[in-house]
Amino acid sequence: MSPYDLLPRFKAQYDANNQEFSISGVIRPQAIDELGPSLALLRDAIGRVRGVLYINVRRLTQMNNAAFHAFSRIIIDACRALPDLKFVVITSSVVGWTSRKFGRLSGIEPNITVEEYDSEFYPGQGFLEEGGFVPILRTQTKLTWRHERTILPRHGMSPGIVMADICCGIGDFAVLVQKEFQPSRIVALDHSISSLDYARRVMREFDIRGIEYTYGDASEMLLDEAQFDLVTCRHSLQIFNRPELILKELYRICKPGGRVYITNEKNSHCLGEPRAESIRWTYNEVAKLFAHFEMDVELGPKSRRYLIEAGFEDIRVETFMVTNMDGDPQDFADVIVAWADVYAGDMASRRGDGPEFVARFRQGFQDHIFAALHPKGYAGWPIWVASGRRPQ
Amino acid sequence: MLMGSVRNEPAGEPTFEPMIQIDMEIKAFVSAWKHCDYVSTYMARMISQNRSDSVRHSNLFSSAFNELLEVAFRTRHTDGELACRVSRHGATDRIELTIPCVPEERQFYQEAVSHVAGFEARERYLNSVSGDLAPSREVVLLELAVDYNATLSVEEAESDAIKLVVDLPLEGLQH
Repeated sequence: MSPYDLLPRFKAQYDANNQEFSISGVIRPQAIDELGPSLALLRDAIGRVRGVLYINVRRLTQMNNAAFHAFSRIIIDACRALPDLKFVVITSSVVGWTSRKFGRLSGIEPNITVEEYDSEFYPGQGFLEEGGFVPILRTQTKLTWRHERTILPRHGMSPGIVMADICCGIGDFAVLVQKEFQPSRIVALDHSISSLDYARRVMREFDIRGIEYTYGDASEMLLDEAQFDLVTCRHSLQIFNRPELILKELYRICKPGGRVYITNEKNSHCLGEPRAESIRWTYNEVAKLFAHFEMDVELGPKSRRYLIEAGFEDIRVETFMVTNMDGDPQDFADVIVAWADVYAGDMASRRGDGPEFVARFRQGFQDHIFAALHPKGYAGWPIWVASGRRPQ
Repeated sequence: MLMGSVRNEPAGEPTFEPMIQIDMEIKAFVSAWKHCDYVSTYMARMISQNRSDSVRHSNLFSSAFNELLEVAFRTRHTDGELACRVSRHGATDRIELTIPCVPEERQFYQEAVSHVAGFEARERYLNSVSGDLAPSREVVLLELAVDYNATLSVEEAESDAIKLVVDLPLEGLQH
């Protein structure tokens, strides 16, 4: 038997609580008989539910027409036999063919609707994509890179490796890694189409080779398992409402013996002198604001726990402080200006904060900028770096 | 694996640059169903590396190509070679699948491809999904046109073979 035969190719399961039948993996049977148990499970699910049955195909990467017909026939027949029952097929925008193929079903039976699972898993994405945030993301990476370029080799980075940068954003980290460490291949994935467009444009303009940008959902990636020596995921677990789902995927695509590298913040620990009190108050409020939108920007020190719980070993954790003394203090100040615009602007407004709160909130950012640009001042932004090895 | 030579197109036709070609004895190919999955997955990965989104392109290409290979798998001719060749012109990838076939199958492919080109292709496809227990080979070809915007044609090959030419504009299907 070849390793191919040993791999679980697909999985069908029914979740009674959510009235959800899900199929995942690769389904390419030669004969329908091969699907017998899965088809029986679907029939059984139809017999049990009331109102609506969700058909989740978000993690279905391949399905041939033979299988598609077999599952579709059961659903269509059920629509005809049970007119009160509705079906909602949940597809993924990442798997290009699913929405088109399953979308045809709603043209056959009106009780079947097809919904493309969207970016709701990324509550922060909307805030960060809007308002010309790109220059700030670039400046942030420039500031953190001064530290990470010396830290990365302690966490598995070396020339010639195959790596993935998950939640790559505008791709600037991948470009810096490519120049500094020359991995043999970088796959950079993000769920923001506009960020990827920007990344590809940069790659074309600067004739950068060796980076493959791909659209994807970090919690349900199309990437094959166990193919990367190093998987990086920076500043992203903290803006994801279920970080353990991403870690599970990072673990899956990492080779046994390879490492997963994550960076996260603890925003309430941003600091500055002078005007320390005002700065501290504002960044404590930043943490609460993000928590309101189900993002944990206090995640940094929790990285060790998350990595252990995800099954990693040989956990390494370290911290560094980006400060106004890292190069031009104006760069640091520019980043704070952008944070103030988004946090005390759109985010505070969407939470419904009043003008008094916003004025005090904004003052803390102003004071942080003051500290950064003051000739004797000091302003800091702490980052937690952590990595773990996937067991052999 | 063989790399083919540059294809000479008639004047006015776009030039498709060869990317990759795999030739197999048809006996070997039809000896295991999983060969369809193997070949489609392997070739999809190889040719998608320099697409704007290699992972998504590979997934789409494999999905479409696998269907074609599954059609070829059902050939009734047990001698000869299966040739899979992929070439590229801009956003379009061209699959040329040379399949040994008996005369009736030749006629089948010609008729099937003419149905694919017809305006009622989508209708025929939906009727099949809602009514047939399993998709016929013709419906599989229809689906390529309906869901992947593929254009299909049949070209003459050697006496006991037929060449299916499928153009897939997959770059345009992506985000």
